[in-house]
Amino acid sequence: MADRKQLELARALLAGRVDRRDFLKQASALGISAAAANLFLRAAPVAGAQETELLPPLVAEPCGDNCPFAGQTVTVLVNTGGGEKGSIEGPFHEVREEFEAATGATLNIAAVPFEEHFPKLIEDMASGTGQYDTSIAGAWWLGDLVAADFLQPYDDYIADTSGKFPEWDYDAVLPGPRSLLEYGGKKYMVANDHDGQVLYYRSDLFADAEHQKAFADQYNYDLAVPTTWDQFSDIAEYFNGKDLNGDGEPDSGVVLHLKVGQQGMFHFMSFSAPFVIGPENPKLYWFNPDDMTPLLNSAGHLAALNKLIEVTKFGPEAMFGWLLPEGWSYFLAGRAAMTFTWGDLGALAQETPERGGQSTVQGKTGAGPIPGTNGYFNISTNAMVETNEPNMVGNTTGGSWAGVISKFSKAPEATYFLLALMATKPKSVVYGYRGWDGVDPGRTFHFLPPNGDNSIEGYEGAGWAASDAEAYTNAYFENFGAELQFPYLRIPGTFEYWQALDVRLSEAITGQSTPEDALNSVVADFEAITDRLGREAQLEQYKASLGL
Amino acid sequence: MHGEATADAPVITAARSQTAPRWRGRDRAKWFFLLPGVVWILLFTIFPLLYAISMSLHAYRFGMQGAFIGLGNFQRLLTDPVLREDLLTTFQFVIASVAIEMVLGIGLALLFNREMRGRGFLRTLATLPLFTTPVAIGYLGITLFYEEGGPINAFIQTLGGPQIPWLSNPFWAKVAIVLLDIWQWTPFVFLVSLAGLQGLSQDLTEASEVDGAAWWQNLLHIVLPLMAPLIWLILLLRAIEAFKVFDTVVTLTAGGPGRATEVISRYTYITMRKFSDYGYAAAQGFLLLLIVSVLFTLLWSRIKHNYGAPR
Repeated sequence: MADRKQLELARALLAGRVDRRDFLKQASALGISAAAANLFLRAAPVAGAQETELLPPLVAEPCGDNCPFAGQTVTVLVNTGGGEKGSIEGPFHEVREEFEAATGATLNIAAVPFEEHFPKLIEDMASGTGQYDTSIAGAWWLGDLVAADFLQPYDDYIADTSGKFPEWDYDAVLPGPRSLLEYGGKKYMVANDHDGQVLYYRSDLFADAEHQKAFADQYNYDLAVPTTWDQFSDIAEYFNGKDLNGDGEPDSGVVLHLKVGQQGMFHFMSFSAPFVIGPENPKLYWFNPDDMTPLLNSAGHLAALNKLIEVTKFGPEAMFGWLLPEGWSYFLAGRAAMTFTWGDLGALAQETPERGGQSTVQGKTGAGPIPGTNGYFNISTNAMVETNEPNMVGNTTGGSWAGVISKFSKAPEATYFLLALMATKPKSVVYGYRGWDGVDPGRTFHFLPPNGDNSIEGYEGAGWAASDAEAYTNAYFENFGAELQFPYLRIPGTFEYWQALDVRLSEAITGQSTPEDALNSVVADFEAITDRLGREAQLEQYKASLGL
Repeated sequence: MHGEATADAPVITAARSQTAPRWRGRDRAKWFFLLPGVVWILLFTIFPLLYAISMSLHAYRFGMQGAFIGLGNFQRLLTDPVLREDLLTTFQFVIASVAIEMVLGIGLALLFNREMRGRGFLRTLATLPLFTTPVAIGYLGITLFYEEGGPINAFIQTLGGPQIPWLSNPFWAKVAIVLLDIWQWTPFVFLVSLAGLQGLSQDLTEASEVDGAAWWQNLLHIVLPLMAPLIWLILLLRAIEAFKVFDTVVTLTAGGPGRATEVISRYTYITMRKFSDYGYAAAQGFLLLLIVSVLFTLLWSRIKHNYGAPR
């Protein structure tokens, strides 16, 4: 029989007389289990919440009178994503009450604009201030952070099976994204978001008989999900200028977000990988491992940039100045036939206006691996290699935003508890279902059988269209599991290298320089950076990062 | 007093000893009132300047000070192609925006320098942009210049014009930045010019009108020459401020597309905040200081030469 006080507390929660935070505090004192508390919280009215809101379940038990980290404070530095329902930032607001009830610690969330995040983190660590215990960092920051000895690895924590920390399965992360969690043999990033770019396309347009006939007549092959960039270009050209969403206005064959300083260079990385990486050259993309000479002006890179420029002609010119949300909004409004970008878009496509989103393409969003090429340029032999089948290369391009623990943290264990809590399977499954939270799938339990142990009913229950969910999860499993993977650069100075790449690519795409000049300028910029950072040290780091 | 005859000394000494307590009391009071200002200048001007000098003479890595490299960062200024590009962009911006602001601002001042209904209200309306923060203006610009159906393009297309690629085209992105600056700072030129116009004696213009001079002759031969010292001063102030443009560039275009709208202040920001190369960023700051100082010296000496130094 339930304790009378417990029942009164539950009634108070359900009647709205006590808020969720107070309920958790009192529940832990009264000995209500996490499972029971979870049930009550799910049943309780939440101010402003919609009936269809999907919330991750409670995992951590309230600590009651025996809180392991009582009195401690954990401050997390995160990209501002729009507050409590913001990308990457939002899940921290969700988990705050549970974390504090389970540990006795206090959680502070410091949200800063994307442009300010890395500088603030570096300043905090360089000065030894330790204002931030953890940062949800981009994977390409690890080179600088580890080289400067700013981070604390968590190998000991994850190996602790005493029950002190929430348990999560490191090996459930697929090999591609898993490689980004560690550096130099030590674990630094606690799994959270798993970035990689895949192809998205309007499945309804591709299935339309009229489009199929017209395309075949024009291009002499059937309209299908493109497996090469040449096919992608043809399809984009075909759909460009047609009305794709029934509003009477011409729409576009493709949309990308290409504003400088806003991660546009990741598009080039995903796009160009199959032009350079192949079975005979699985790793050489960035630098010559003998002398650190940049390789970005190879014939393969140039061919890729030329093809990318060709493809952008089938999109709105405005996209050269678009941020990520602007590009995605264009696709979600049904105005583009295709795009290639991160997992967020697949989930956002399920968030219709009825569910508080803006998607008009739920049930019409197909996904597939990034297209490949019919050959690639082997940098090591300086020769083109023709392939019988499309040369497909998987990628983990993007931030793969995950928590790192500052070496200057005064509460490292409490910090790891927080990150591990959010990495647990029950929470990660829900994060993967949702689009707004910025957490993308990359672990076995995100995928459908036979690739994983999730279920189509799980996705449908979370509001997904079954067809979209199948295409999406298959695309990502194929991408992360591809034999050939794009080599992710994580050496010190990556921020600077990629800034230079981003600017020069933008110059080429907007016609301010020829593609050849742009890539030669990239090489010159890279050389200057390498010389300043120390060529020998950079070479050593580069070889170690690629296992050469 | 120094070198006075000995005979005076006793008198002076006596006088000094009689006034000493009062003098020390006034001295203390004087320092009490001066102290906040002195502390402020030391904390926010002298110390940062000295610290910046120190930074510029060292190498930095991961935001931490490294070896002393003397003038190494300053030598790098001379060979950095990005810096050259950005300086050129900055000069283009300053010349275009300040020139247009001067013409528009003085023109508006001439227009408002008369009795008219609602002049006060219209004057307030015209000066509103001046009180808006540049960051807000930049973000507002994203909406205004939105190419796919934004208000400016919608208006232009209603009149039969084309869709202008405001933020995706290198040339038009520069135009967008200049337009925002003109919108914000023309009111400054307008306000100061209007004050100057209203301070002019009307006798000269009335006399010339009686003699049959047309309005444009009045303007060219009387009003503008009398206003010249003030106009030069406005030009000086606006040019100095324009060299420091930052907020609108960062928020509206992030220096793009490519590097089309990257000004020196944004490059300094990236060098310091993204690359954590504080030493080189400090050197860039001193370069901007040098440019602005040269500009000030040239313009101010012209003002002094033509119109005499203020006493």
